[in-house]
Amino acid sequence: MFKPEEMAKIEVLSLNRYKDSILTYLHEEGVLEIREIDGEFAQKDAPNEFYRKAASYSISLSRLVDFLKGYKEQAKGGIKGFIFPELKPKKKYRYEGIEKLIKEIESFLENAEPEIKSVESKINSLSTEIERLKTEIEILELLSTLDIEVEYLKPTKNLEIVVGFVEKDKFLPLIEELKKALNDKLAYVSRDLKGKVLVVIALLKKDYDKANPILAKYSFERIEVPEVKGKPKDAIKELQKEITKLNEELEATKKEAKVLAEKYHDELVFYQELMENEREKANMLSNLIRTNMTFALTGWLPKKDVPKIMEGLNKISHGKIYVNIRPPTPEELDEIPVKLKNPKFIESFEMLTEMFGVPKYNELDPTPILAFTYSFFFGFMLTDFMYGLIIAIVAALLAMGHKKLNDGVYKFSNILLWSAFFTMVMGILFGSYFGDAFQRAGINVPALLDPMRGALVVLGLALAIGLLHLFIGYTLGFIVKIKNKETANAVLEQLPWMLIILGVISLALSMPGFTSITLGEAFLLPGIVLFVISEIRSDLPILMRLLMTISDFFGFIGNWLSYARLMALALATAGIAMVVNIIVAMIWGIRIGPVPLGIAVGLVVFIGGHIFSTAINALGAFVHALRLHYVEFFGTFYSGEGKKFEPFKAKREVSELELEI
Amino acid sequence: MREVEVSTITAILDTSLAVIFTWVAYKTGQILWKYTPYSYPNARIRAMEARFFTEQKFNELAESKTLNNFVMNLEDTDYKPYLTALPVLNSENIDRALDKALADIYGLLLKILPKRTRGFFKLLLEEWDIRNISSAVKAKLRGEVARDYINEIGTMVEKVKAIAEAKSFEEILVILEGTEYEEAYQKLLLKEIAPEEFETELYKNHYLKLSKYAASRKDEERIILEEFVSLKIDKINLSTILRGKAHGLGAEKLRNSLIPGGKIKRKSLETLANMEDVEMVLAELDSTEYSGIIREYREEIVEDISAFERAFDRYILQRMAELTRFYPLSIAVPLSYILQKESEIRKLKAIAKLIEDGVKPEIIKKAVGELP
Amino acid sequence: MEPIVYVALGAALAAGIAGAASSFGVGIAGAAAAGAVAEDEKNFRNALVLQGLPMTQSIYGLITLFLIALVSGILGGGFKFAEPTTGNLIKAAILLGAGLTVGLTGLSAIPQGIIASAGIGAVSKNPKTFTQAIIFAAMAETMAIFGLVGALILIITGVGF
Repeated sequence: MFKPEEMAKIEVLSLNRYKDSILTYLHEEGVLEIREIDGEFAQKDAPNEFYRKAASYSISLSRLVDFLKGYKEQAKGGIKGFIFPELKPKKKYRYEGIEKLIKEIESFLENAEPEIKSVESKINSLSTEIERLKTEIEILELLSTLDIEVEYLKPTKNLEIVVGFVEKDKFLPLIEELKKALNDKLAYVSRDLKGKVLVVIALLKKDYDKANPILAKYSFERIEVPEVKGKPKDAIKELQKEITKLNEELEATKKEAKVLAEKYHDELVFYQELMENEREKANMLSNLIRTNMTFALTGWLPKKDVPKIMEGLNKISHGKIYVNIRPPTPEELDEIPVKLKNPKFIESFEMLTEMFGVPKYNELDPTPILAFTYSFFFGFMLTDFMYGLIIAIVAALLAMGHKKLNDGVYKFSNILLWSAFFTMVMGILFGSYFGDAFQRAGINVPALLDPMRGALVVLGLALAIGLLHLFIGYTLGFIVKIKNKETANAVLEQLPWMLIILGVISLALSMPGFTSITLGEAFLLPGIVLFVISEIRSDLPILMRLLMTISDFFGFIGNWLSYARLMALALATAGIAMVVNIIVAMIWGIRIGPVPLGIAVGLVVFIGGHIFSTAINALGAFVHALRLHYVEFFGTFYSGEGKKFEPFKAKREVSELELEI
Repeated sequence: MREVEVSTITAILDTSLAVIFTWVAYKTGQILWKYTPYSYPNARIRAMEARFFTEQKFNELAESKTLNNFVMNLEDTDYKPYLTALPVLNSENIDRALDKALADIYGLLLKILPKRTRGFFKLLLEEWDIRNISSAVKAKLRGEVARDYINEIGTMVEKVKAIAEAKSFEEILVILEGTEYEEAYQKLLLKEIAPEEFETELYKNHYLKLSKYAASRKDEERIILEEFVSLKIDKINLSTILRGKAHGLGAEKLRNSLIPGGKIKRKSLETLANMEDVEMVLAELDSTEYSGIIREYREEIVEDISAFERAFDRYILQRMAELTRFYPLSIAVPLSYILQKESEIRKLKAIAKLIEDGVKPEIIKKAVGELP
Repeated sequence: MEPIVYVALGAALAAGIAGAASSFGVGIAGAAAAGAVAEDEKNFRNALVLQGLPMTQSIYGLITLFLIALVSGILGGGFKFAEPTTGNLIKAAILLGAGLTVGLTGLSAIPQGIIASAGIGAVSKNPKTFTQAIIFAAMAETMAIFGLVGALILIITGVGF
């Protein structure tokens, strides 16, 4: 807790013939982040022929998967599929080098690829053919207004026939100019159609070159006359028959595709995952260096994994390996990847920290504090036992369904579970069960405080919590800086605010007489002096320094007052719940004759209203609790500028590698 | 006494209400007018940006070896519908299909963008007309097949095609009759201007239109559009001067080809036109905002002026991308998108052409990497 | 004017302006959400959450409306400040001020919608920016929260239950 996982630097040197298996072993273990070596004495490693093949097979496999996916029977969908996603079975693969794997895939693709491709191209060509016929029908529909047999619209030996559209106002000038240019040697038919004019012009073939520029000048849009016979209307019927036939054929082909999907889809996905991982290994090679016989790699790994990796490496290379492991040096501080380490029950909150940025290696991991304060703030802002219960149930279901996957949803639902717990506690304290539903129904529930009537007390509470939260932040920053020997920064950046906050607290306590005013002043004065000194220290122009002092001071006040949202959102929840309850109370009594309609409608409004209220208020609580941490709390001490630990790790969803060690 | 107080209170309340509400209504209306129209298009464009090809994708495409593979590699992209229906696979057909894809993007933008800035994209589309007309005419003057030099995109594709197929220069005049390009072409036919001047003339008119349009907008729209237009004008002026200097042309000749507008002042341009050679022009440019481009590509530019144009295009792209970060709900987003899309299509065309010519993947990758 | 006019105005403006602003904000973000989903349906969930953010201001407005109605007796019992005395007028004015504070600070829903709209654009380009986009949009809400807190203090200390 509070400190990130201890890391160690590893340097590996071994023979080239073990490279593939060592890399695969590390990839499967997934605990080592490989870094680039810049050695001038050796050349950078590059993918060999098999790795290049892996990349190209990965693409062609994914293309086949994409095609078949559309024809695969969908398993479970909808809400149930979301809450309880199906775990895909992992198929085992015995890994004996990339060469063998590539050969296996080649022999698999040899059969599967042409089979799938032929169905795919059949479907494609059928669809394009149908599309083509449909456009022809569209054209014929236009031509049908002319009622001329289509053959007559085709050019003959001596005659050129152009069919197309021209803007209405350009039609007459076009004909005039054509007549002039061709000495009246032309014939035309025209129809008004949708603001344009459909024209068929017959002219002598030898005159075509003269007519063409004129047609272009008037932006004559040609249409391709389809290769059909007879009147357009009859031709359309023929074409439609053809389309029906093609559609039947298309359906039959799609069935074939479904059969293929059943046969190949899972296997293709399996092989694609294998190839994808090979591809990742190939991409990693450029970080390695090699000579004719040997290769070297370097990277970081958690200290606790060192013995296991050492043993594995030794086994794979039969001891023909040199491994050096050492703790990080202070110079490497900015390079060390950071892996957060927290007890299981708050591990999920690491997600929130990581979203902002991980700490540097020598800094403090705020996750444990965030885990508590985040869920508490969430609870404070939602403040309703029943709403908390609803969220807890949903989150618990999700957490159960996603436990094995250990994905984002699982982490998120864990966060929600904690938040819901605090929501319920706060709900009991404030006596809120669906807002004031019980009170309205005449049932008395014990409550320490009514958020509506005691709004000012809640506000005071919120601000006190805010002050405390900020104080924790500044103190943490102070401790970290002292530990990292940045005493001057600690004294000037964090200490003034710590003193000011202590001063404000003791002044506030002196009002009811708990402490004396002098104590408050004793904190406040040095705090303000220190603050002014730290501001004046900067290298801005004098006037700017003055302005910055003022703006920083009010920045602090603003940050503090920002915690008032704890109260505002708590009140918003209570308010919305109350509004729902008032509306329900109003319609509850309505009866039409003997039918108690009001109760039925009221129940619907009650349930719907409170579910809506839970959703919208939980969204608000989630967002604003996050904001209070990212903006106000982290602003006091946390940089989040560390480098996240990104291990070289295989992605295994449907496959499992058996490696010979 | 009490009566007075009551009426004073109500008077104060009423006046402050009136003042506050007028102001609030005005401000709210202003904000809404400014941002709402960009909400839908810009989010949609951002989502489309997510599908731009990465460098890795271009590398994969460069590795295609055959046009067949190239098209297959594009099957999981937006270009699929344009490419699958091609009867014969050659770079010419692919070019045309890609032009169609780009034209459709323009069509989509023209449909979803707010009415008040739509016109600018129409003007950008007109630039394709100018590019087409001037390259077709120039090709014809050189006696080459004009068809190879045109792109099937713009506001008058049919006319451009007819120009490319025209048998005589008079025919082209007939086609251009009634368009805004007629006058310049007539001058060219009457030998009043040289072919290069014809092109300049077209661009001059076009950029004048662009500048006018940009100046007629308000606030950030104006800032963005003016920035874009002046960058374009600077690019064309500078490359005219550099090319002129590379061919040893005098200041007199260059002066007529310069297009008014742009960030570089007319006077500075004339100074540049008076310089001895390319090196000196570049040295002079070092004090402008383009010094970054000049410094990075100095050697290449001295060797080949088109390196300057490529670098400048990249600079415009980058500048517009910067503006999208400043103004996320403005015309900068569609503008930057269309520039990136044009760049993507340019690269795809180049890859297709190079694959057809049987060029090795490594060389394709390098050539494409240099494109803006 | 009569005190009831101011009290009613205060309640109406709190809920009215904040509600109108919320609907504008949600509308702007909604247009962006529609654009993002038109290109890729996967953007739906992220866009929906971002679109919902500018809704809170209308809730603050609604709460203020109910509070004003409660303390002035419009809700439950009769209107307490019917007599046009100075004292009643001042109380009415305080309630109007409280309502206006929430209503006007509720206008922050419009810029919040604009930020959310830009956020939806950014998220559909790069889904990793989701949390950041939410935090940016939540920043705009601070003013509305301050407005609500201020109004509550006004109502409770100035008029009281």
